[in-house]
Amino acid sequence: MIEVIKHTLPNGLKLLIHQDFSTPIASFNLLYNVGAKDEHPEKTGFAHLFEHLMFGGSVNIPVYDEPLERVGGENNAFTNNDITNYYLTLPVENIETAFWLESDRMLSLAFTKKSLDVQRNVVVEEFNQRYLNQPYGEVWLHLRPLAYKVHPYMWATIGKSVEHIKSATLNDVKNFFYSHYAPNNSILCVAGPIEPNAIIELTNKWFGPIGKRDVVERNLPKEPTQTSPRKLEIERDVPFNAIYKAYHMCNRNHADFPATDLMSDLLSNGKSARLYQRLVKEKQLFSNVNAYITGDIDAGLFIITGQLYPTTTYEQAEIAINEEISVLQNEPVSAYELEKVQNKYESNFTFEETSVLNKAMNLAFYELLGDANSINLEVQKYRSVTPEHIQTIAQKILKEDNCSTLYYKSNQNK
Amino acid sequence: MLDRTKAPEKKTTGKITIPQAQQIRLANGAQLIVVNAGTQDVAKIEIIFDAGTRYQNQSLSARGAVSLLSEGTKTRTSQQIAEQFDFYGSFPEHSFDRDFASLTLYSTNKFLEQSLGVLGDMIYNPIYPEHELDIFKKKGKQALIVELEKVVTVARQNFFSTLFSNKHPYGAYATPDDFDLLQRNFIAHFHDNYHTSSNCLIILSGKISYKEIKIVEEILGKTPFGTSVETNKIILPTTLQTPQKVFSYKNDALQSAIRVGKQMIKRNHIDFPKFMVLNTILGGYFGSRLMRNIREEKGYTYGISSTILPFKETSVFVIGTEVGANFTKDTLSEIYKEIDLLCTQKVPDTELELVKSHLIGEVLRTFDGPFAIADSIASLYEYNDLDFSYFERTIDTIRSVSSTELLDVANKYLSQKDFIESVAGKLETT
Repeated sequence: MIEVIKHTLPNGLKLLIHQDFSTPIASFNLLYNVGAKDEHPEKTGFAHLFEHLMFGGSVNIPVYDEPLERVGGENNAFTNNDITNYYLTLPVENIETAFWLESDRMLSLAFTKKSLDVQRNVVVEEFNQRYLNQPYGEVWLHLRPLAYKVHPYMWATIGKSVEHIKSATLNDVKNFFYSHYAPNNSILCVAGPIEPNAIIELTNKWFGPIGKRDVVERNLPKEPTQTSPRKLEIERDVPFNAIYKAYHMCNRNHADFPATDLMSDLLSNGKSARLYQRLVKEKQLFSNVNAYITGDIDAGLFIITGQLYPTTTYEQAEIAINEEISVLQNEPVSAYELEKVQNKYESNFTFEETSVLNKAMNLAFYELLGDANSINLEVQKYRSVTPEHIQTIAQKILKEDNCSTLYYKSNQNK
Repeated sequence: MLDRTKAPEKKTTGKITIPQAQQIRLANGAQLIVVNAGTQDVAKIEIIFDAGTRYQNQSLSARGAVSLLSEGTKTRTSQQIAEQFDFYGSFPEHSFDRDFASLTLYSTNKFLEQSLGVLGDMIYNPIYPEHELDIFKKKGKQALIVELEKVVTVARQNFFSTLFSNKHPYGAYATPDDFDLLQRNFIAHFHDNYHTSSNCLIILSGKISYKEIKIVEEILGKTPFGTSVETNKIILPTTLQTPQKVFSYKNDALQSAIRVGKQMIKRNHIDFPKFMVLNTILGGYFGSRLMRNIREEKGYTYGISSTILPFKETSVFVIGTEVGANFTKDTLSEIYKEIDLLCTQKVPDTELELVKSHLIGEVLRTFDGPFAIADSIASLYEYNDLDFSYFERTIDTIRSVSSTELLDVANKYLSQKDFIESVAGKLETT
């Protein structure tokens, strides 16, 4: 049971407090309800570029990192399609430094041209390093627009192309900040060996004076139901053929979510899972296979992917994958196998709780989904999943009409 | 009125409590260290063997020996082992490097006895089935071919094989074709000789009571494992330290991977904590000189860092980054400039103070929870002969070292211009 104390400031900032006295370190996690899905289709990659600019100095504090390092603190951040999340850990006696730094960059940034110029280049290099200069690194840049036709999940967090990043202006940046960064669009979670009243006091002191802002109302188009198979073939200078199949699935708060997640675990969580045992070990068609869900807040994707051996044809690969899908659709999973993936989920959940920072991040995220306390119901939700439920979902989503298939082909043997 | 331009007053971190660990000698001779901390009913067991690739006579046999432990025992098939671990919600892992190989198990305390039972079976009774070896070879070869497409892999391999020479066990790499030559008897032989109870450390960490210790004693502590031949303490060939440059061209590279470095003092050397402070200043944290210069000033890279990689017989100081291809030359010259600066000018007081605070925070983090403590102890075993005073000496040095001492250390170890430079990628964009 993760205990949480909630408090909301008059300006709309939501505060969550969790006590844990097993560590000398406090965790401070600030989630902004803005992600790549909130970007303009012609200015993609912005939420993430913006995350970089948040480290370029704020209105009263010219440098972000130094004062934090001076008190033994560390920080980082990540952006995905749904959220932008900033997190700090520091020796608890200096927790106020985190409040000072984070409240000032929520108040306003320095918005310097120098910072924008440099971070544009840094992000271009990040784009190169993580996506373009890696074998298979660009796959998601093709798979997303194949699977999504109207929803902004059609572009990756890094952006559609480096051109969008290169053309960002200081004005764009300011607009983005004032329409998304606001106390009434954020959730703060502080965890560690802390006293709740002291944390509430610090929150009032540093975040209280920041006024409410007009946050742009989110009005995202709903992805229409896919009605026919989609296929894309690309040839690249990679050593082996690979296949990616993406099926539309439910959103994060949907009652089908835990069962869909467990269905991916049946296929590929752990070495005993079905895809590894059948396709890698028995049939030896793939050098690796994987199945997972994207876990997005809006309707996401169920992915099956694998790298083929040179002797395996795409036809064989498809047949083998489809055989496993048929099994899911036609035979209810045994009580034993279901219990196995449920055990694994619970164990994984328990291990995550060993980190105070993980707890702080998760609490903020569950609060965004509706209620931080609901984190304590997760294991029960996964335990309640039935074989019939998984079978129904397999029949509903794992079909070609609902699937985008990418063949990422090697051109090296030509 | 709130003054936002002023930082809150810094409160000094009090005395750092170094967690206590219990040391137990098991009946079969194996050493057990127990770390009891944390709030969740979970445990981690790591078994570290002096069984890295340096001890192998045939390429890949150290890796095969530890990787294939989970692929079949006298009474369990590969599939049964996987089933059982998964059912208990346990996570087995293995790793290997030049000096060590290790097996790790994460388990809830509820299923510790069952899952450790499977792990024990893997250590005592592996059979290394031929068909499992075939799959390992096929998969491993393909994965390595993909890995070698990455500039960062090529730069790293060229760096180490130049630094140590590719005849040296610290500088040799497996090639894709080596997988074809791997034989079952190589790995079975390696297992017998190097995965032994007389030649390992077991670290049990988590929320640990008498009950969990008993389980470990029962399963791993009674009968010796491995043939207890004297461990072959290989004497490593010496290496020459002369500056060398190696460049590997990749036609379609958007970025070049860079490695610049040299051999350095070992972790148990008296100067090591001081050099660690120096390394942090140069490239060991987000606000380091290299990060500020190459990333935050020039925007050439997503990240650059310098690290000290420990080995049993030496250590390697290395700077690593991936930069836009047309920034390669400029980045290299900036790297050497920053090293020169450390050797010629004292580190300003404000910068040194900042790095000291940062490092004290880092030390606190290494004691943050049972698994972090276990990791610190693992490296203490690997590189400091379990000399627990290393932690205190390091903390003392961080607090007391002066900029004059750092200048001396820089001159002593970094002024010789004997760096190995390895670049993979391209020197300009086309």
